[in-house]
Amino acid sequence: MWTDIVTIFQKYMGSGFVMIWFLAALIYLFLNEKQKPRRILLVYLPVIMLVLYFNPLFAAVFCKMVGSEIYFRICWLMPVIIVIAYAAVCIQARLAGIKRLLFAGAAVVLIGVSGKLVYSNPLYGRAENIYHVPQSVVEICDAIVVPGREVMAVFPSELFLYVRQYEPTVCMPYNREVFAGYYDPLYYAMEGQTADLEELVPFARERSCHYIILQEEKEILGNPQDFGWELFGKTEGYVIYRDTMVPLIIP
Amino acid sequence: MIRMAVQLLILILLLGAAPLLAGSLLARPGTREGRNPVLCWVSGQMLLWAGFQIICVPLILAWQQDNFRQLCLLFGIFTTAVPLAALAVLLWRRRRGTAAASVERADRGKDTAAMVLWLVVLALLILQQVLAAVLAYEEGDDAYYVGVAAVTERSNTMYQTLAYTGSPTEFDARHGLAPFPVWIAFLSRLTGIHAATMSQIVLPVVLIAMAYSCFYLIGKRLVGDRRRGLPLFLLFIEVLVIFGGQSLYTAENFLLVRTAQGKAVLANIIIPFLFFLLFLLAEKLQNGENPDFRYWLTVGMTMASGCLCSVQGALMACLLLGAGGLCTAVCYRRWRVLFPVAVCCIVPAGFVFLYLLLA
Repeated sequence: MWTDIVTIFQKYMGSGFVMIWFLAALIYLFLNEKQKPRRILLVYLPVIMLVLYFNPLFAAVFCKMVGSEIYFRICWLMPVIIVIAYAAVCIQARLAGIKRLLFAGAAVVLIGVSGKLVYSNPLYGRAENIYHVPQSVVEICDAIVVPGREVMAVFPSELFLYVRQYEPTVCMPYNREVFAGYYDPLYYAMEGQTADLEELVPFARERSCHYIILQEEKEILGNPQDFGWELFGKTEGYVIYRDTMVPLIIP
Repeated sequence: MIRMAVQLLILILLLGAAPLLAGSLLARPGTREGRNPVLCWVSGQMLLWAGFQIICVPLILAWQQDNFRQLCLLFGIFTTAVPLAALAVLLWRRRRGTAAASVERADRGKDTAAMVLWLVVLALLILQQVLAAVLAYEEGDDAYYVGVAAVTERSNTMYQTLAYTGSPTEFDARHGLAPFPVWIAFLSRLTGIHAATMSQIVLPVVLIAMAYSCFYLIGKRLVGDRRRGLPLFLLFIEVLVIFGGQSLYTAENFLLVRTAQGKAVLANIIIPFLFFLLFLLAEKLQNGENPDFRYWLTVGMTMASGCLCSVQGALMACLLLGAGGLCTAVCYRRWRVLFPVAVCCIVPAGFVFLYLLLA
């Protein structure tokens, strides 16, 4: 359990520099802060939370109750940024003249260097629309949706997590578990190098998929029309097929 | 154009005016705290969230068709009645003259450096709000949380359909007892704004502002007596948040990346606000005062709001209030404080118990 606790903490603190500033600020406030309410909230309470976090007995109980994958959230109970910011303001207030300005500037730079710009994460990108989903999802869903009923559609993996955020009447044959290694034959047939219709069509039909969306550049093995698929539409980068063997009664 | 104006007006009423008025019910009339609109806004939102949690969870557990429609009706009445009652109380107080009890504000004169600092703080806040609206993050959990909001709004049922696939599902205690996405669906239903837009654009703008409001309240208590102290404190906080991407697990990262998810609200609004309330408690005991009923009601509402955000939120809120309350009681030898602290933990402890029972 102890190793798990330390590993989770290491993951939480990343490079660890901000945590070093936090501990330094805690020591500074312990030595210099005279007001009792501030000592309680900014020194004693964070220390209690640290002790609690590293207590294997507490960790064991918490993990048993709600799971070990979210144990890092106990770290949120330590007011890390409040303690650092307050200590920095206190130090700055003790300086005079130009030193104050220099310290404030240096502190901002130091914080910037110690942490990492949240927006530098490569998973960030410019939103394509007001729904924050790929525009292809909007176009495909608008094309396949049938008023008054749900439709089943299978999407390539880069799109399928967004579909039901935008259009909840479009149902999916599998969920996010496939990303975690859960075996789903339809998913594997969809994500292969080529779309082998001999393999893909039975799995999609078994799940009653009215529509099958494939990447435009994906090589298709077999003639879709021979398998009962008709070209329903095209959007930028994707082709929509309608499986005519799966009935779609329009209310 | 007219539709957008109406949507904006409803949003202002639901996310601005309603919590602001509701919060005035929790504020002590005639005091500086009571006249602080930021405090009223945040505490009022806690009151509304707590009400939402208390109304919503029994309806989810009842597992009926159309339960979301019932929720919209009941919470709609609540969210209208509470601010109206607050407005009536405010008018009544004004008539009696208690609301007019003025708080002297010292004229501190002009401070250009402080003004520049405030402008930088404001600019950084707006920058974060704009980036939240124009940048999209590939966040896998949104497939569930935004999905739940969208499905709820469309299907009129709560947690009866699996958000990922659309297939019927059994009750999921972990998510069903902390229905923050249903609150998003409620806002979406009332405004007519798509649940995804509500989650990814509207709420990040509002919730980022609310998170900094909590830091503002804390900073005001810590360094409010120094003219440049408060904007400098907030500037440091903003830089720490913006550069808080050293790991994916920091509360700061959650604030900017997963803003409208319950856990981000827990980490950046509920927990900081509880810190603020604990700080108020310690200050009151330091001054020899006893926290009044309104104070404990605000604490209780904040604890219940923690349950709305996540099931662990209930546990963490209890931990924080318990540890903070105990620490304060020991430091001031005021053991009687522990009783209301324990009472405030009843609702979250009940939710944790329910979770253990149903999970």
